[in-house]
Amino acid sequence: MSKKTPPVIELRGLTKRYGMGDAQHNALDEVDLTIEKGEFITIMGPSGCGKTTLLNILGLLDRSDDGEYLLDGKSVETLSNARHARIRSQQIGIVFQSFNLINRLTVIENVALPLTYKGMFRTKRLIMASDILKSFHLSEREYYMPWQLSGGQMQRVAIARALVNNPSIILADEPTGNLDSKSSHIVMEELSDLHKRGNTIVLVTHNPNLTTYASRVIHMLDGKIASDTKHPVAVESETVKKPLNKTTKVTTKKSTKPRKRKQAKK
Amino acid sequence: MTSLLIFEHVQNAYYSLRSTKLRTFLTVLGVTIGVASITTILSLAGGVTKLVSSQIDDLGGNIAIIRPAVASKSLNDYTSPSTAGVFTTSTLTEKDLRDIEAIDSVAAAAPLMVLNGSLKAATSGTKPANSTIVATTPALQTIAHLTVRDGQFIDSVTDQFTTVIGSQLSIDLFGTDQSIGQTFMFRGQTFRIIGILDRIDHPINYNNIDFDHTAIISLETGKGFNQGIAQIQQINVSAQSIHELPQVMTTINKQLLANHQGEKDFTVMSGKEVAEPTSQFFKAVTAVMTAIAAISLVVGGIGIMNIMLVGVAERTREIGLRKAVGASNANIVWQFLIEALIMSLIGGVLGYIGGYLIAFIISTALPFDPIFTWQIAAIAIGVAVMVGAIFGLYPAIRAARKDPIESLRQYH
Repeated sequence: MSKKTPPVIELRGLTKRYGMGDAQHNALDEVDLTIEKGEFITIMGPSGCGKTTLLNILGLLDRSDDGEYLLDGKSVETLSNARHARIRSQQIGIVFQSFNLINRLTVIENVALPLTYKGMFRTKRLIMASDILKSFHLSEREYYMPWQLSGGQMQRVAIARALVNNPSIILADEPTGNLDSKSSHIVMEELSDLHKRGNTIVLVTHNPNLTTYASRVIHMLDGKIASDTKHPVAVESETVKKPLNKTTKVTTKKSTKPRKRKQAKK
Repeated sequence: MTSLLIFEHVQNAYYSLRSTKLRTFLTVLGVTIGVASITTILSLAGGVTKLVSSQIDDLGGNIAIIRPAVASKSLNDYTSPSTAGVFTTSTLTEKDLRDIEAIDSVAAAAPLMVLNGSLKAATSGTKPANSTIVATTPALQTIAHLTVRDGQFIDSVTDQFTTVIGSQLSIDLFGTDQSIGQTFMFRGQTFRIIGILDRIDHPINYNNIDFDHTAIISLETGKGFNQGIAQIQQINVSAQSIHELPQVMTTINKQLLANHQGEKDFTVMSGKEVAEPTSQFFKAVTAVMTAIAAISLVVGGIGIMNIMLVGVAERTREIGLRKAVGASNANIVWQFLIEALIMSLIGGVLGYIGGYLIAFIISTALPFDPIFTWQIAAIAIGVAVMVGAIFGLYPAIRAARKDPIESLRQYH
């Protein structure tokens, strides 16, 4: 598909500095990274290696100090905060470790929230939210309050929310960090399913087991990308771990893609 | 750009205010009290002003008065009227009076001659304090809008030693307000009462005479107490119509100037000018009271600000999340500003209603009613909304400025 279409995300020499003078250190040190449409990327690394900072910058929640960030082929570095808000609203979905559902609002209202900032009317918002919840098999929970759900359900609601505005990329920061292994598995299945449907996903995690779902694993160290591997091996372990017919189909698709791509190495 | 999402913000504010009912109620109460006091003051002050202006209208606007000596028209004249003029020898003469009456457009003119001395009831010998004797002509009744409750006013054919007295004077003298035919003594003369005046409660008293405590006698009799010379403290003139009043005043000025050998030792004033200090006085009082009430509104506004800041702090994570899913700074500002505006608007409406309730309760003890005008409603609601906007803006901006990453990290 895609040498012609620009990559979803392209980073060139991205640098983020914290502190001043002697105390200054680079949270991100000239990171180059290209993410194509349809990839499922897992970013691993020890605490403080800059993976969350990277995710925040990708999600336009933070700005880099140096370098270039192209989203869908367009540079976003110089845009105003209001334009960033608009891009967040239309092109990016974020999933948090702590779910961040608004307790005052029902499940369906939480899911519909991002659509509010697209200027959509309430009825249409709720219809769209309802549709997406149906695909997550959460239809009967629509009018529950967030605190009436289990952790896994909350995170699936949060994923539904990230997905409702049909973003070009989904960013997940330790989405299973607060979940037990069973719920983690369900949530990861859900993300994996999204990936199969053609969504681009960037997942930050500590948990090496989760890399099995990914098509590409990036290890970071001290603000740099230490290794960047396509994941045909992981595909095997994935199939072993999850004996699902669909998965195999997708993995073949996945494994073909990386070969065409020039890999970003640092 | 996308819409302002007003409807969404209103709905959102509703849920968020509902989730902290007591806190919202107390905040709204602060605004309510401020607006209520402003509404009460304005509606009652409006009632007084209306009373005053209706009396100026009652005067017909076609009244002019002439006083000896040049008077200043300051507020001071009303708050502490000088009594000196009453006791000094007047420059106005009976000739002046006759000349004024002779002017074409003058409908009537009446002199006021206040006499010193005390009254004594003929039978019981009661001597009421602070009573006045005024000598005048029958024309005074129409000019000063005096109404006779019982009997008749003095006229040109009645006996010299007859009198019309105020109802309170009647009670003071005889213990009853049914005193027709009774007599009292004044400077050795016996006066028979032929009429009782209706009680008067006009705030504007351009005669400087309290007719409730006054006995009115004819000018001829009054002159008799002053070696036959009229001692006129004031002449009341009514023109035939309002339009002719300025011209009448000019003519009077000219005529009197001629009579007094070019000496400007008198003042001609219109009824409106006389009423002016009164209106100014009430306006000043209203302004001061409104300013005091405004302070309570400021306190209410600070309450809003306080609660909004608490709300912003509590909902830091929500703000971070909303930003993460695409809310712009402007969206966040509006979200919180509308919340503040809704509280202040509710406070404004409740305060407006409450203010009138208080005004009506107070007015049962006052001779006038509060007034309803769209201006008062507009001021009450407008000021409330303004307070909400002013005191809600800072917390809203603070909310919008929050860094989404920091916000989302809270309570992790």
